[in-house]
Amino acid sequence: MQQSITGEHDRRHFLTTGSLGLGSLATAWLLDQDRAQAAPIRPELVKTHYDTLPKPPVSPPRANAMISLWMQGGPSHIDLFDPKPEMAKWHMKPFPGKVKYDNAAQASSKVLHSPWKFRPRGDCGTEISQLLPHTADIVDDICLIRSMRTGVNNHGQSILALQTGRILKGRPSLGSWLSYGLGTETDNLPSFLALIDPGQLPVEGVANWSNGWLPAIYQGTVIRPREPRILNLQPPAQLAGKVQRSFLDYVGRLNTRHLAQRATEHDLAARIASYRLAERMQMSAHAALDISGESKATQEMYGIHDKATADYGTRCLIARRLVERGVRFIQVYTQNQFWDHHGGIKKSLPRACRKVDKPSAALVRDLKQRGLLDSTVVHWGGEMGRLPVIQNEKNIGRDHNTHGFSMWVAGGGFARGLAYGQTDDFGHKSVENVVNHYDYHATLMYLFGIDANTLTYTRNTREKTILDGQPGRIVRELLDV
Amino acid sequence: MRPALSALLLGLLTGPLTAAPPLTFERDIRPIFKAHCLECHGETKELKGELDLRLRRFLVSGGDSGAAIVPGDPAASALLKRVSTGEMPPGKESRKLTPAQLDLIRRWIATGAVTAGPEPKTLARGFQFTDGDRSYWAFQPIRRATPPTVKTLAEIRNPLDQFTQARLETIGHTLGGPAAKSTLLRRATFDLLGLPPTPIQRTRFLADTTPGAWERLIDRLLASPHYGERWGRHWLDAAGYADSEGVASVDPQRKWAWQYRDWVVNSHNDDLGWNRFLLAQLAGDEMVKPPYKDLSPGDLQLLTATGYLRTAPDGTVGSNDAANRNQVVAETINIVSTSILGLTVGCAQCHNHRYDPIPQVDYYRLRAIFEPALNVARWKRPGGRLVSLYTDADRKEAARIEKEAKVIDGERGRKQATYIQQTFDKEVAKLAAAQRELARLARKTDAKKRTPAQKDLLKKHPSLNVSAGSLYLYDQKAANDLKAISKRASDLRATKPQETFVRVLAEQSGPVPVTRVFFRGDITQPRQPVDPSGLSILGVTTREPVTLAQNNKQIGSTGRRLTWARRLTGGTHPLVARVIVNRSWMHHFGRGLVATPGDIGSLGLRPTHPQLLDWLADEFMRTGWSLKRLHRLVMTSATYRQSASAPGPLLVTDPDNDLLGRMSIRRLDAESLRDAILAVSGSLNPRRYGPPVPIMADRVGQWVIGKENLNAGRPGAVVDMSNEQYRRSVWIEVRRSRPLGVLDTFDRPAMVPNCTERVSTTVSSQSLMMMNSDFVVSQSTRFAERLKAEAGPKTIDRIHHAWQLVYGSEPTAAEIGEATAFLDEQTALFNGPVPKADDKKKKLARSRDQALSVFCQALFSSSRFLYVD
Repeated sequence: MQQSITGEHDRRHFLTTGSLGLGSLATAWLLDQDRAQAAPIRPELVKTHYDTLPKPPVSPPRANAMISLWMQGGPSHIDLFDPKPEMAKWHMKPFPGKVKYDNAAQASSKVLHSPWKFRPRGDCGTEISQLLPHTADIVDDICLIRSMRTGVNNHGQSILALQTGRILKGRPSLGSWLSYGLGTETDNLPSFLALIDPGQLPVEGVANWSNGWLPAIYQGTVIRPREPRILNLQPPAQLAGKVQRSFLDYVGRLNTRHLAQRATEHDLAARIASYRLAERMQMSAHAALDISGESKATQEMYGIHDKATADYGTRCLIARRLVERGVRFIQVYTQNQFWDHHGGIKKSLPRACRKVDKPSAALVRDLKQRGLLDSTVVHWGGEMGRLPVIQNEKNIGRDHNTHGFSMWVAGGGFARGLAYGQTDDFGHKSVENVVNHYDYHATLMYLFGIDANTLTYTRNTREKTILDGQPGRIVRELLDV
Repeated sequence: MRPALSALLLGLLTGPLTAAPPLTFERDIRPIFKAHCLECHGETKELKGELDLRLRRFLVSGGDSGAAIVPGDPAASALLKRVSTGEMPPGKESRKLTPAQLDLIRRWIATGAVTAGPEPKTLARGFQFTDGDRSYWAFQPIRRATPPTVKTLAEIRNPLDQFTQARLETIGHTLGGPAAKSTLLRRATFDLLGLPPTPIQRTRFLADTTPGAWERLIDRLLASPHYGERWGRHWLDAAGYADSEGVASVDPQRKWAWQYRDWVVNSHNDDLGWNRFLLAQLAGDEMVKPPYKDLSPGDLQLLTATGYLRTAPDGTVGSNDAANRNQVVAETINIVSTSILGLTVGCAQCHNHRYDPIPQVDYYRLRAIFEPALNVARWKRPGGRLVSLYTDADRKEAARIEKEAKVIDGERGRKQATYIQQTFDKEVAKLAAAQRELARLARKTDAKKRTPAQKDLLKKHPSLNVSAGSLYLYDQKAANDLKAISKRASDLRATKPQETFVRVLAEQSGPVPVTRVFFRGDITQPRQPVDPSGLSILGVTTREPVTLAQNNKQIGSTGRRLTWARRLTGGTHPLVARVIVNRSWMHHFGRGLVATPGDIGSLGLRPTHPQLLDWLADEFMRTGWSLKRLHRLVMTSATYRQSASAPGPLLVTDPDNDLLGRMSIRRLDAESLRDAILAVSGSLNPRRYGPPVPIMADRVGQWVIGKENLNAGRPGAVVDMSNEQYRRSVWIEVRRSRPLGVLDTFDRPAMVPNCTERVSTTVSSQSLMMMNSDFVVSQSTRFAERLKAEAGPKTIDRIHHAWQLVYGSEPTAAEIGEATAFLDEQTALFNGPVPKADDKKKKLARSRDQALSVFCQALFSSSRFLYVD
């Protein structure tokens, strides 16, 4: 499939993100590729040219693509991944330690034992909550980290820590770093795509897929949650089909006559070709995003036919199709504060789980059955977990907790069926084998064959890395050996 | 680049290919050494291995390791061995010599290692200018050449044409004939205004058949206020104008930057002499007597002009550290040197320039000119650079209103305290009776002095910690009341006289900073102090002084910039006039006489018509540095009036049009394209000046024109723009991190820090935009409405009118036939199968409207609209 796609188009004309949201990226990226061919060769005084051509990693990579299933808001780890039987004894009693609240007015010091049951699953026996039955079914393929920590209790800062390495705005996100370091395997699609939710953008918005100070060609490109998934890629309804065909024929005739009087003008010939290619792109890019050709079994596995899972399932399935076509990094978002269960957690947490559980598990299974899981990292998680105590006794919820939370990764060289690290008896703080965001980044980069300390970008005469001086540790225990 | 072109540009041949000239040290070998080796072997204090590579005879005599070369014997030449193995130069792979360079050196040694002429008897250590440096064309004084004599006079209209004609005659051609009148009208109108000609302008020009019609047209266009919007924008590119600081994703706005933008546009419309234009931008502040209060209009303009030195991206708005401060200084020097000097002086920041005769110390001498105002030791952050335009009367009135507002603030403070106390009391009431007194006491007690029991109680009942910030969580009504009081105060404050500002660069009083050379450009390693000076090579080539006085006692500042700017604009500087004349030529013809307008140094391309460039530069300065006169001179030439078509043999001989034997076809730039669509559709809002039309993210994160209306950080309801969205592109906010889709797609550059030459690409994202974007589709509909309203119901009239508006011409019979057929075809497609009789007529009318919109869109999408010839 990939060969036929890359083979059929001229490199100069492929799907562009100028027509996607966030125009700059796409165009910059596209132009850059054009310029790479057109620019006269001149001595390079300062590196001013950047491209997305594939680049070899410094060491043999385990992974060459990544899909990040981003659970914005902070899923409650103690209700989903990190069972705390000790808490049963303290249920509705004052918490015996110190807690940092985000909302003091609604805060209560009473412990809330998880109302949901856990049991050992798969051959590995890792305990998973009843709220995630499908994830429980793939537990032997995933690597669960129960000792995450960013240590900053706000959504924005913790998101930035996990996405960009630091809590301050303005730095490149992980996908930008990987695109910068490794380029892309496809000429038909950008290397870094963000599949946003039909609801509102996640907290921090475009900073989640920002190139920061890296060149704009490494910026993530937004794929809209519904058709048209790429702006300007499809004609408005009243122009679609025969109307546009006839329109393009007429424009072609006008332009051909114009060219005939200026036969040696290469640019005019290229302009005519660009319309023809744009028309073909409308079909090929559309094809990458069109899941209608997927088998019924596949669609069902992703939950496409169920209203609760249709949206997230479709986006997970599109993510797989993009990986197949050589896209380097894909984010699949939940909407703004989808997991931020300050109140009403008893209803809203199960609802959130229903949306993503089946599609997420299907993605891992599907990649595995197609032989892609070995080279593709799937990440599932948000920027924080929740506190062991109640917030708002009238409408029970849980407040933020970034000192200890869980997330899982699968494929691309991560261990299978592993549960790593521990929080304290209340799941408040990571206490054993702590994985900080920078450890996670160092480990990921390692799997992509990159040393997070030496993939640098020079800015204001300083060499910048994703770790930015933080002591990122490659957590070898997380790796599949 | 085609081989024929590069050969021409290098001046190696002007006729058929002849035998290659012998390799010489000066022309072929020394430039390689300069770029790769001289930093350690000749141009700096230290001389590694005692080997100096600056002269051929030094190579033969060699250094510590013996002779570097043995003429005639490459195999015995140690230097060739060292560089071939990659041992030299040490360091990064990118610094190694290429196979082609190695081959040149090998052949040069093999052919006897000859020089072009005798070498100097003595050569001092360190950076020295070579004969090649001293004779480089761009550093020579501008000399007015006599226009060459030509064989054919048929097409010659002014002296400019003699230069182009003479070049064409050397290859047996002549200037082409003039283009059709309607073509010329469209060319001139886009060129000077960035807009298509209106039907009225067209009728007037076509009706004028008396001699001088063309000159009168150009005068009319130059008198249009749209002229400044077009040519001001060109300079804003070079100056790196932006409405934001350009750092991080926050990219804070520069609220008052537009005052400088307005000044640039106005100065172009007023045809302010380019010498005065530059003088004001480089040193306007030094011509105004401080303090900057109750300013006269003239003084205000001078201060506003210094906004030019405040365009660089500025990280100190965030992290105000030494690195960011120095970065701003460096970027400002980059902007000044590329936009005014046409040189990449910035390359000499860390070491001697590897290609141009600019030693590192020259970079810091230039920096010393700016450092008293861009003082890294006593840095002014963006907020501190504003000069208030408040008068004393304004200030008095504002103080009176502020006093009243403070009274309201006091009322709010008292109420807030009461509300908090009431809320706390309610929370206390929820406690067991026995605990209440303890809670009250705990609340009153300083946090550090609380007893364990008090602390424990507050910890168990976190809701007792009610504060001003959390009051709304308990008592929304109270919070609303406080909000209402705040609003009263802010409403009152809003009645103060509005305070406006200009962004200014000016020196501060106090000690003048010492500028030092930074070793290898490292700001933590300052070395020897330097005095302010222009580029030292120019002192050699022009024999004019380049060094500047440290201080000027006459005025309140050092006067360094003022003195330097006066030298730049004094009429003897070799670079300034050449650079602006060349850039203007680029905007008229699509490419400069030097095709690299930001770098006329040795890495740039050579001028195709060096004598013409000098003649124009001289003429420009003689006629008062007037840009408008320059336009008139260029545009009334036969060279400019040529048709875009040319005889076949010329197209084969000169495919890139280096010899200007025809007009080059150019694509509309981003702003012209957007503005032309708005003009043709009848939407264009001609309002000028003032704060920029804002850019916002829409719900999917796309940058569009609109007022940001965020609701908890996310886009809220769309705010009506009252036709502001239809203003010309120059008035739209240049937020560096928010490129507007329609401009960005058509190569509007990012200002990092400035842009001396735009690219013009042809990519399918542009096609997708023309085919499918909301902007183009909706403007096509508006254009169709306009056609209906202005041309009436008949298809043929509509086609005629459309052709006039879009192409500035009348359609041919064939074009009318094709357009009519297309409209019929589209109407049938929209109409579909024959509908029921009763609404048949209505539906057909709608289908015709829709077809007309698609027709309009097709004209917008056509090359004939997108290009000017």
